[in-house]
Amino acid sequence: MAAQHSRRSFLTLAGMLTAGSALAACGSNTGRGGSGDTTLHQWYHAYGEDGVQAAVKRYAAAYRGGHVEVQWNPGDYDSKILTALQSSAIPDVFEAQVKLDWVRQKQVVPLDDLLGDAKADFVPELLKSQTVDGHLYGIPQAIDTQVLFYRPSLLQAAKITPPTTVDELVEATKALTKDGVKGLFAGNDGGVSVLMGPLLWSAGLDYLNADNTAVGFDDPRAAAAFGKLRDINKSGGLLLGSPTDWSDPGAFTSKRVAMQWTGLWNLPKIQEALGDDIGVLPFPAMDASGKPSVPVGAYSAMVNARSGNVDAAKAFVKWLWVDQVQDQVEFATAFGAHLPARASLSAKAPKLQSGVGAQVVKFVADGGKIASPAWWSARSNTALSDAVARIAREGANPTQETQKALEVAKAELARARG
Amino acid sequence: MKGTTRAFWLFVGPFLIGLALFTFVPIGWSAYLSLFEARNTVTPTVFLGLKNYADMLTDDAFLRSLGTFLAFAVFIVPLTFVLSLALAMAVNQIGVARAFFRSVFFLPFACSYVVASLVWKMSLFSGVETGVANKVLAVFGGDPIAWTGTVDPPWYWLVLVTARLWLQLGFYMILFIAALQRIPDHLYEAAWTDGASPGWQTFRYITWPQLRGATVAVLTLNLINAFQAFDEFYNILGDSRGYPPFARPPLVYLYYTSLGSGGQDLGRGSAGAMILTVIIAAVTLLQGRVFRFGRA
Amino acid sequence: MGRDYGVPVPVGYRQTTAGRIGVVLRWIALVIGAVLFLLPFYLLVRNGLATQGELSARDWSLFPRSLHWSNFADVFDSDEVPLLRSLWNSVVVAVLQTVGQVFLCSLAGYGLARIPYRHANKVLYAVIASLMVPTAVTFVPSFVVVSSLGWISDLRGLVVPGLFSALNVFLFRQYFLDFPVELEEAGRLDGLNRWGVFWRVVVPNCGGFFAAIAVIDFIGSWNQFLWPLIIGQDESSWTVQVALSTLLSSQNPKINLLFAAAAVSILPIVLVFVVLQRYLVRGVTETGLRG
Repeated sequence: MAAQHSRRSFLTLAGMLTAGSALAACGSNTGRGGSGDTTLHQWYHAYGEDGVQAAVKRYAAAYRGGHVEVQWNPGDYDSKILTALQSSAIPDVFEAQVKLDWVRQKQVVPLDDLLGDAKADFVPELLKSQTVDGHLYGIPQAIDTQVLFYRPSLLQAAKITPPTTVDELVEATKALTKDGVKGLFAGNDGGVSVLMGPLLWSAGLDYLNADNTAVGFDDPRAAAAFGKLRDINKSGGLLLGSPTDWSDPGAFTSKRVAMQWTGLWNLPKIQEALGDDIGVLPFPAMDASGKPSVPVGAYSAMVNARSGNVDAAKAFVKWLWVDQVQDQVEFATAFGAHLPARASLSAKAPKLQSGVGAQVVKFVADGGKIASPAWWSARSNTALSDAVARIAREGANPTQETQKALEVAKAELARARG
Repeated sequence: MKGTTRAFWLFVGPFLIGLALFTFVPIGWSAYLSLFEARNTVTPTVFLGLKNYADMLTDDAFLRSLGTFLAFAVFIVPLTFVLSLALAMAVNQIGVARAFFRSVFFLPFACSYVVASLVWKMSLFSGVETGVANKVLAVFGGDPIAWTGTVDPPWYWLVLVTARLWLQLGFYMILFIAALQRIPDHLYEAAWTDGASPGWQTFRYITWPQLRGATVAVLTLNLINAFQAFDEFYNILGDSRGYPPFARPPLVYLYYTSLGSGGQDLGRGSAGAMILTVIIAAVTLLQGRVFRFGRA
Repeated sequence: MGRDYGVPVPVGYRQTTAGRIGVVLRWIALVIGAVLFLLPFYLLVRNGLATQGELSARDWSLFPRSLHWSNFADVFDSDEVPLLRSLWNSVVVAVLQTVGQVFLCSLAGYGLARIPYRHANKVLYAVIASLMVPTAVTFVPSFVVVSSLGWISDLRGLVVPGLFSALNVFLFRQYFLDFPVELEEAGRLDGLNRWGVFWRVVVPNCGGFFAAIAVIDFIGSWNQFLWPLIIGQDESSWTVQVALSTLLSSQNPKINLLFAAAAVSILPIVLVFVVLQRYLVRGVTETGLRG
């Protein structure tokens, strides 16, 4: 387990951010002079922060190497990307986190040659997460992370301290539930989709082991960890059925809950609504062999191998996500709060230099975990989230359900290993 | 005679080509895919034999999806039947405003499942205290219930079943009204002469037996439609992260298995589709036996 | 006692006590039912005219305090999803599909009903057999076929596979079987061939039936969801149902605009319903009781 921590830790990131190091950022050689009349289709998932959509359209419009159509995809983006990659030349460029199957089926193209000198500037862990079989398939756009937001005033009123173990989190969820306010909100699915990873990490486990040779939760403590989510669901303090889901700060800012698990990107909205009454925590450890953790998502720009204009698409990706440093800074920091994917940009992220932002940077450095590893297949993920949902929401037997998911994950890994 | 052949193909040919291309070819291709490892591809190379079928038939999630269909059918079929018949009788027997009531109950038929899902999920059965159902609860002093998110008790069934009832009752009501109007008056007149009282007795001995054809049609259509349930389940229970493992009917499961985030596995998806096709064909034939299908 | 009563009652029955109670109960049930059935439509419009804040506020009430008609303008301006484009797509798909279906299926139905071709029965069995396979179950393989034709995110992929309705062919065939042969023979005496008889004699005399099938097809096409969801990958090919569903499962839905968009989306279909209800009722009856 120790190897796992070191491999997926983000200590480098902390160093970069605090030092505000100024590694040579590339100049801004705009435009590649490609064929002017190709149209590239670029897809994003729907960012919740106001302004992102307009910004990415603005970036695309400024590109002189061709015409770029930006498509915004609210809804089930992962399914959409999977279906599109299987059958369609659209999109040419899209954001996602690389999956082994895409590489094996040659659905995405390697982007190794795009980074050039800038390679040293990117957070190495991120590049590694988008690398399969020695090739880089995605250019990291920014780092997303999720944390537990809470209102210190309510904790004080209930005379409890911020939870440092999963059991304390269960207790806090109960204790904070009163006067029409619920203790915790972690999504309308009872926390299944967003807390699945953190629960594994809380027990010192993971989806896969460090070198992707074995499933990372072949351990009875996985079932125990998922059982904790059952406790949270049973506590009576978990908010369900909110009009907005975990990724939106609505439940927290409208004071329906005392704690919410949501993206750091919502920090500006939360600060606006609640002022200083904000605390943040990583997901706590279950016991001594686990560690507090936060998931690290790295949506990266990728190129569809079925695209009719692979070269033009690559040129656009290089232009936007390698060369256009100003746009990258704005993208990561101007709307919500993301951690930049590049060291040289960190000094330009004032929200992260102090206060809550700085705390979260430390969480990422100490316990950041890749949320969606390339080798962790969609089918394994569905099997595991089904199991966790059945355990947490329906009260199914944790050991049996986890075992079923484990078997699927093992078979999937065996298939991937050939 | 040659002219007849030519004329026949002129009339029927265009349709048949399309039917072949978009019904028979897909079924054949699906049968083919179901024998291969077809992940992320429609031109597979690894032959698996019947492994995908074995996989699906032992796949807990797939079997549960069949169970979900059964549970859904157990609610929806009798409820639709009784309520649509009751509506038809009531609408049919009032003199004034009959056209108005008929239109009101029939109107939801024109509404899409997506729009109904929106109203049900976000307004009628919204989980917070602003939902209409929770407003009603509050009148009786109840706490708000997360209707679509509560598994124990499974309130989501209430949401799904009422949505479908609203959408389809009018359709079946129209069928019953049409059937009611085809019952000849003299049957009723004869019954009164024999001393039957209007109300239950005439219903039991005249109306009900005369509705047999409509009854079979309503039950059959209703069952087949329930089997194909997708839209309201997907839109009410699905979210941007996928779909929960409960209340997942067969088509939703196949969608996620083959085309959604469940692994893009067209081999297993096709095997599942073939199994469903066999089940539907078997049920249809069996039903034909029981109800003498093919009266036409 | 008139024939337009489905279940007649003896003269004077309504004046008896039992009759009166029956009438009162029926009225109560119908009025409650009607209110419940209209409530969702009301909510659609009511929430579509609210502000986002009002919808999540604890004091939301059934009757709005203020009406925000600007929502309907905003919803067309919103660049979250291209609503206008998706409405247009729905119109195009529904119209093309309705016209195409009625055209192809009436021809085939007529051929099967009237042309004494040797193998006509075998063809009919093939059509009926395909009825047993619900199209929804074949969506996976159909997707495969359409994708290999390169019709993903393409109007052709949305429209063409839906044109070949075996059920419609069957309904047309049943209907044409009952068409008076004498009329057709008169047409032939006037020197028309089969094609001419069909268009000049049969079609003009079956307007009501054609309208009935067309209305049903139009509503079905407008409201279909699974197929456009699979085929409409690129937003330029989304139908209005897909656009709405996308907003509904969005992580941060603007709920008031979502309701406004949904209200707009049902407007055309409600119009069709109101204007053509007579044909719709007939279509439903034919589809349901003959199919």
